[in-house]
Amino acid sequence: MSYPLAFGELHGLFGWLYELLESTGLPQPWLDVVRYAMLGAMVFGVLSLLALFLVWWERKIAAHIQQRFGPMRHGWHGWYQTVVDAVKLLTKEDILVDTRDKFVFFWAPVICFVAAFLAYVSIPFGEGLIVSDLNIGILYVIAITTFTILSLLMAGWGSNNKYALLGGIRSAAQVISYEIPMVASILVVVLFVGSLSMVDIVNSQSGWITNWFVFRLPFGPIAFLTYIVAATAEANRTPFDIPEAEQELVAGYNIEYSGMKFAMFFLAEFVNGFTVSAIAVTLFFGGWHGPFLPSWVWFLLKTFAVVFLLMMFRWTYPRLRVDQLMEFAWKFMVPVTFANLILAAWMKYAGWYW
Amino acid sequence: MTFDELKEYLAANFADDLTLLDTGRHEPVYEVKAEKLVTVCRRLREDETLKFDFFCNLGGVDTGERMEAVYSLASYSKKIRVDLKVILPHEKAEIDSVQEVWPAANWYERELWELYGVHVKNHGNLTRFLLPDDWDQGFPMRKDWDAPDFIRMPEL
Amino acid sequence: MADLRTEEFTVNMGPHHPSTHGVCRLVLTLNGEKIIKIEPVIGYLHRALEKICENRTYAQCIPIMDRFEYVTAMSCNYLFSNAAEKLAGIEVPERAEYLRVIMLELNRIASHLIFYGVTAMDIGALTPFLYGLRERELIIDLFEMTCGQRLTYNYIRVGGVSRDIPAEFEPKCREAIKIIREKLIDYEGLLNENPIWLVRNKGIGVLPPELGIAYGVSGPVLRASGVKYDIRKDDPYSIYDRFDFQIPTRENGDCYDRYLLRLDEIKQSLNIVEQALDALPEGDIKAKVSPNFKPPAGEVYSRVENSRGELGVYIQSDGGKKPLRVKMRGGSYNQLQVLPHIGTNCLVADLVAIFASLDVILPEVDR
Repeated sequence: MSYPLAFGELHGLFGWLYELLESTGLPQPWLDVVRYAMLGAMVFGVLSLLALFLVWWERKIAAHIQQRFGPMRHGWHGWYQTVVDAVKLLTKEDILVDTRDKFVFFWAPVICFVAAFLAYVSIPFGEGLIVSDLNIGILYVIAITTFTILSLLMAGWGSNNKYALLGGIRSAAQVISYEIPMVASILVVVLFVGSLSMVDIVNSQSGWITNWFVFRLPFGPIAFLTYIVAATAEANRTPFDIPEAEQELVAGYNIEYSGMKFAMFFLAEFVNGFTVSAIAVTLFFGGWHGPFLPSWVWFLLKTFAVVFLLMMFRWTYPRLRVDQLMEFAWKFMVPVTFANLILAAWMKYAGWYW
Repeated sequence: MTFDELKEYLAANFADDLTLLDTGRHEPVYEVKAEKLVTVCRRLREDETLKFDFFCNLGGVDTGERMEAVYSLASYSKKIRVDLKVILPHEKAEIDSVQEVWPAANWYERELWELYGVHVKNHGNLTRFLLPDDWDQGFPMRKDWDAPDFIRMPEL
Repeated sequence: MADLRTEEFTVNMGPHHPSTHGVCRLVLTLNGEKIIKIEPVIGYLHRALEKICENRTYAQCIPIMDRFEYVTAMSCNYLFSNAAEKLAGIEVPERAEYLRVIMLELNRIASHLIFYGVTAMDIGALTPFLYGLRERELIIDLFEMTCGQRLTYNYIRVGGVSRDIPAEFEPKCREAIKIIREKLIDYEGLLNENPIWLVRNKGIGVLPPELGIAYGVSGPVLRASGVKYDIRKDDPYSIYDRFDFQIPTRENGDCYDRYLLRLDEIKQSLNIVEQALDALPEGDIKAKVSPNFKPPAGEVYSRVENSRGELGVYIQSDGGKKPLRVKMRGGSYNQLQVLPHIGTNCLVADLVAIFASLDVILPEVDR
């Protein structure tokens, strides 16, 4: 029978769980529910660990760019510093504003957190290592990551704080604006692959490194560059981090959040950063393909390389102003990505590609 | 322009308005009558030789018997400096605002009013800003001001 | 859409806000994100320094002056000492004057390095902050070596300085100058041509020279608007007339010019320190002054060029051990006054950039 989920190269590690499930003799629908729950827990666990690792890694990179050491106390070079921080945030008093909109205020971090993780349903971590190979994979990912805006708006509104409201509105304007160039860059890839499925996109880039989409001249590199700029804006990172803009809006939408609710926003932000990098790797850098090492190792290596790029942006550049940011989106990014899309479509039609 | 030249020039041109005060060996300090303050200030600012366009400082002084307002002026282009002093009665002191000559005086005059109780006429915005908004303990820079938590140090 | 109802809304920026450099409160009236009115509210850091000074002897006032403007505490020390010396007619030994100039200029560099870091941080670049503080550390180490303090030095006293510099000061100081010269190239490389830095700073918060003069603005902020006014040249104090240095000016008076001007000033200050080290004479470091000296009755207004404009103190003496009145004047006071005039009709983000470029520091305003 076909399993609804596969572990690819990791089947040897986790295959016994299936057999254990099979041996319980549950009816098929129940088996599927248990399997998906199990898989969800696994993805959640892996990503939470990744997010914790990313927080530590970012702090270390920032520290070394700034000629400091960063966290050094907990373990070797402070490797479990973020675990300690997370425990601290978990046990911290949850300070609530009296004038908050209770419903909206409570659900904003939850939506943010859940949306960040839901994107991983159709991101292939390795060969066959995907929760569900949806035939509309990339569309699904784009749609689900956009939920983040909703949560930021909710946080901004629900906090009943003027800075938070400004932050929420800014983020909505920003993310919606940058969604367009981002999708237009992604469409270039989809156009050539002829499929929205993430696995198909990865498979079309197998073989030599020249098959990676980023090396498809001339539109590949342009699409990648525009994508990475739009993705930086999507993930609300410097130089596009105006929704948070510590120096102007104090902390933007999450100003009134504390304790675990804040931690949820914080972790979701890092998961989002990882998501946009994972999409970049899947679309432009051949996904899990690579020699010698297992596929999932390649995927993680490539993704970390892109995350590293984003981190370098963050710790080098100043922040743009909100109107300059929108100007950049509408007057530069949108025309460039659409021109690129038209160029790619024409070349595809004319057959001038390899 | 040295101080001696400045003294000569002021003696020649502002003899009616400015009286040189004897304060030892330093920069000249001139006394101005309170009612002439604004006109003298405007003349000092607009005089081509002097051009006192830099409003450095305004400090109130409470000597115990009288109030003084000391204006420190300088020129951006002429490398000269002068102090003007207005002597006011201790109670119900009033002074004209010099904001129309130097807008910079705004906050200094507010401070003068807030800390010394010298009422500034034509100021437009005499509101508290250094002290708390609900301050009701008088004018703290006056010599006779006392507060429960203010302890004078014993004479050395 | 024509009858869409819009409302102005008021935001309290501060007193607890990361980019008001202390506890300044700006009441902003916003139309969307556009500022239509700014009202600075000060006094959150009012410590009644002037009142405290009236209750102390002249020598005891100097530690109070450290707190007046703690980023350049040396200037404040010098300011009060200079005023008291003028009042009492005290001659300062030659070596002490040179040591004072070295410390004043090093402190100016340290202050401008903080400006570099803090401005970059306010505009969102977090890394330059650490770079600025890293080089400032070299200077602070020199101060610590000399007087044991890192922030409130209490080093320049009435009649001279509190102690001589140790033997290793001079080589360390020359090394620090060399390092800062090299690092300045890095600083300029990091930000000067950065396109984001340019769009955030160029043409923002333009201060016309007439407006600056009307509001008594001085120091780097005014020089960036093209007014060549520096008390070190125009009303020389101490021994500044013996050194060869330029007064840099800029034309546009925007945030970018103010930033560039301060980097230029660091270079000039480095030159002054080098010249002073070369010419440092031997001799006494302090004139004989009784700790309870009584200056004759009189009054004096003394001023120095600080990294934030004119720093002045007015002292009136009635012939006693304690001053009758001490009135302090800081450059930030006037720069904060002019902020509503150059900050309206821009966005909140610009206001942060303007506030940073004015380099306002609140203890100087509130006293």
